[in-house]
Amino acid sequence: MGKEIIPAAEKSLNLIRGRLCDPSYVFRPLSASSDSNYSKLKFIVSTSITEGCNNSILLLGPRGSGKAAVLDLVVGDLLEEFPDSVSLIRLNGLLHSDDNCAFKEIARQLCMEHHLLFSKMASLDENSQFIVAMLRECGLAHKTIIFVLDEFDMFAQGKQRLLYSLLDAMQSVTSQAVVIGLSSRLDADQLLEKRVRSRFSHRKILFLPPSREEFDGLLEHLLSLPADSSFPNGYVSRFNEKIKNITSDTRFKDILRTLFNANSTVNSLLKFIFRAVSLMNLESGLLSLENFKAALSSMQRQPKLEAVRDCSILELYLLVCMRRLEVKEQSSYKIISVMKEYKTIHDSFQTSDYYAQNVCLRAFEHLRERQVICYTENRGQSQTGEYRPMKLLISASELHQGMRSHACCPAILLKLLDH
Amino acid sequence: MPREESSKATRRSTRSSSSVTVENAEPNESHQPTVDDLTFGDESITVDAVLSNFPGRRSQILDLIRLMGPLDCPTLPVMIYGSASTGKTSVVLQVLRHLSRPFVYSSCRTCYSPRILFESILNQLLLHRKCSSNGYSSAKRCDKPSDFVNLLREALGNVIESLESGSGTSRPDKSDGKPMGKMVYLIFDNVDLIRDWDKGSMILQFLFSLYNVLKMPQLGIILISGLPPDVYYSNMGYTDPLPLYFPEYSEEDLRQIFLRNQANRKLYAAFLDVVLKPFCRVTRRLEELSTTFSSLFRKYCEPLDDLGISPNEDMKRRLYSHLKPLIAPCLNEIFRVSSHPHDGDTRGERRQKASYSSENREELETLDFHMSVSAKFLLIAAFLASRNPATLDASMFDSTGGMDNRKRKRKASEKSMEKKEMAEQEAVMKGPGSFPLERLLAIFQCIASVGDSSFGEEEEEEDEDPTGYDKENNNLMSDILLQVSSLCDANFLIKSGSCPLEGSIRYRSMVSEDLALKAARSLSFPLAKYLYRR
Repeated sequence: MGKEIIPAAEKSLNLIRGRLCDPSYVFRPLSASSDSNYSKLKFIVSTSITEGCNNSILLLGPRGSGKAAVLDLVVGDLLEEFPDSVSLIRLNGLLHSDDNCAFKEIARQLCMEHHLLFSKMASLDENSQFIVAMLRECGLAHKTIIFVLDEFDMFAQGKQRLLYSLLDAMQSVTSQAVVIGLSSRLDADQLLEKRVRSRFSHRKILFLPPSREEFDGLLEHLLSLPADSSFPNGYVSRFNEKIKNITSDTRFKDILRTLFNANSTVNSLLKFIFRAVSLMNLESGLLSLENFKAALSSMQRQPKLEAVRDCSILELYLLVCMRRLEVKEQSSYKIISVMKEYKTIHDSFQTSDYYAQNVCLRAFEHLRERQVICYTENRGQSQTGEYRPMKLLISASELHQGMRSHACCPAILLKLLDH
Repeated sequence: MPREESSKATRRSTRSSSSVTVENAEPNESHQPTVDDLTFGDESITVDAVLSNFPGRRSQILDLIRLMGPLDCPTLPVMIYGSASTGKTSVVLQVLRHLSRPFVYSSCRTCYSPRILFESILNQLLLHRKCSSNGYSSAKRCDKPSDFVNLLREALGNVIESLESGSGTSRPDKSDGKPMGKMVYLIFDNVDLIRDWDKGSMILQFLFSLYNVLKMPQLGIILISGLPPDVYYSNMGYTDPLPLYFPEYSEEDLRQIFLRNQANRKLYAAFLDVVLKPFCRVTRRLEELSTTFSSLFRKYCEPLDDLGISPNEDMKRRLYSHLKPLIAPCLNEIFRVSSHPHDGDTRGERRQKASYSSENREELETLDFHMSVSAKFLLIAAFLASRNPATLDASMFDSTGGMDNRKRKRKASEKSMEKKEMAEQEAVMKGPGSFPLERLLAIFQCIASVGDSSFGEEEEEEDEDPTGYDKENNNLMSDILLQVSSLCDANFLIKSGSCPLEGSIRYRSMVSEDLALKAARSLSFPLAKYLYRR
């Protein structure tokens, strides 16, 4: 290891990776324009704070499109603008979908904000009474409580007691509260019960993937280094120059187009850039097009192909036998029928790879562990292992491709697969 | 002798005094864990050492180091996946040893429920060690993900604070095993086992979104899974971690791995030239190959007197011819190497399965585990009950105790013979049939009474009841019912679904024909006579 790592390279790597892992930095330029979701959301919440009314909104969009990030930006700005009249309660559907947990968590966060003592032994009713009382008090003091419900669709499962009590309290008690729900299901509001839906104002903000120009702007925003004095002089300009060269290259545009054809959310772009930046050559401290190409190929994984490539030759034989049985119109087959097919192949082609029953059973287990085959029915062990019907989990073309790229697949297997 | 008397005197001392004199084997009473214990503990090693320790994993190790980034660099969650024994866990731990960064490791195999998993992580972060003074309890009780998130945030905050204050002192030397940097890494091993847990899918969702929920840039998460990431796709969707794949070893890598730590590398290389290729066709898993190779290598070296010599071509040929007869049968065994090299293949040709050779015949003859006589009869009865249709019981097991007039006298035509063969094979393919308990007991009593008279003598010896009441049969019956349940536990019988008309539980026999034949042979029971053939 005789090459020197430039310390500036490490610093720039740290800086860029830190930016990529910080959602609020990523979404700031996207929120700059006046008709973006950021400004819409900010308008709604700030009006309800200033006018002292209740409100409820849903933020909907696919995963990784920045709902939580934009919400954090808005909340951060509001906390600066109105420091004393906003308090924030955060709930997550994955953690708090159970009503007990949810009420306990709300009570705990309220206690923490207002410096009250929280008792872990409080029951559900006590917690809900406490919450209603706090809502009334905060309403009288003109303080708005913002409830953020992540994974809103998880709260809409079951009896929806939390949603009902929150929305009901907002309507009946003198309270000032805003309920903001975030969900990746675009039909989250259809999941609500009738009485909950009637108390819910049907405001929805959709988060759509950004356009191509916005993506280009985002790339530049993420990858260009600031021209401050912590970096050596020529380095920053060289780095930014290289970035400009790469982004204007048509090959890079092709790479981006391939990426966006698969997944056009901001999150996948972030992962792509993260991977590319991690491959940065630390000796020169500059990014190159090969980094981005390697990042793209590592994002395009094909696990079933990899599984087939990892199989031993006996396992390939068994897969080919199953495929042949499938061709003969049997949709699920038992191990003994596969073994019969295996024996027929051995007899007709005189292959050298004929092994005993227990070795083949072990090979079946390996295939099942890799999720290349599975049992068709799971209703318990009503049959012994050799008589349970199984089926293939990969298609014929994947099997073909996998076998062709296998390191040492015997030619006879490919012939058998094609008949 | 005075010495003996004094030792006797101590032995006669009371329990309370002897417990005081016994050394309390608590090694870590005085040692309180600190933040420094969060690293691997040993001296740090260089990248080259890591690379040479893991032949064939060069690109994966370099990828992992690059993904984790330089010191104090925030990172997105990483998932490492690959099949068993491909070195995932050991590579991750050795890379963290090289980087000397603090980490918390927990495996979902040893922590088999969410509560144990959460508490194990919290114990490590809160630097709490279970010992007798706190009754071997955890620091905090935590079984819900919501509590876990709050407690984890607190604990991580404390650890990061102490790391930051500790790293104020300059520590240029990386090799003393002290933690470097301000980031803490959480490693979750065997994540694929969570799928089988109760509410496993929720816990998996929670793990994958842990990074987003906590929003702490000083936390790095590494997930190790035996299954590829596409099995975790659910209809809820999740932000998937960065995948890193550990493929199976190629033949060249396997050769390098096996050559490590060998006393005589040339000899072992010659051995590998012979065995590696054929065995790789069957399986490429490291643990299966290593068990076979270790016993085969001992056989290989048998004709050699001096194990330290490096063989020339002539000797290699000799050793190969010595080993060759063992290779073929060994390919068909899973864990054993048979001890007798076969000599004479003539008897093996009559076998239908072409893969068994004659040396396995002795093993075929006997059961390799012990069963009582009544259990063997039960096994045979279950096998017969599953194979024969119920309507033929009366004629098969009549009072004469056997069937001898089933053989067809007339010669069947070839076509009908073929059809019968096909029908028989289809019946075999359908699998063993199910039977109620009464049928099993009836068949058992029938064949047990037919069996050798020594069985009856044993009974009389065991029966000590003076009143000649029919306790014999009752003793036998309760004994048999116990045997039925122990056969069920041993998976020779399974309970299949109950018949909807009768409502009683039906059983099914899982015994293969070989095992039934072995059991029958050990009892000198003519099994073939009772098997129904069309």
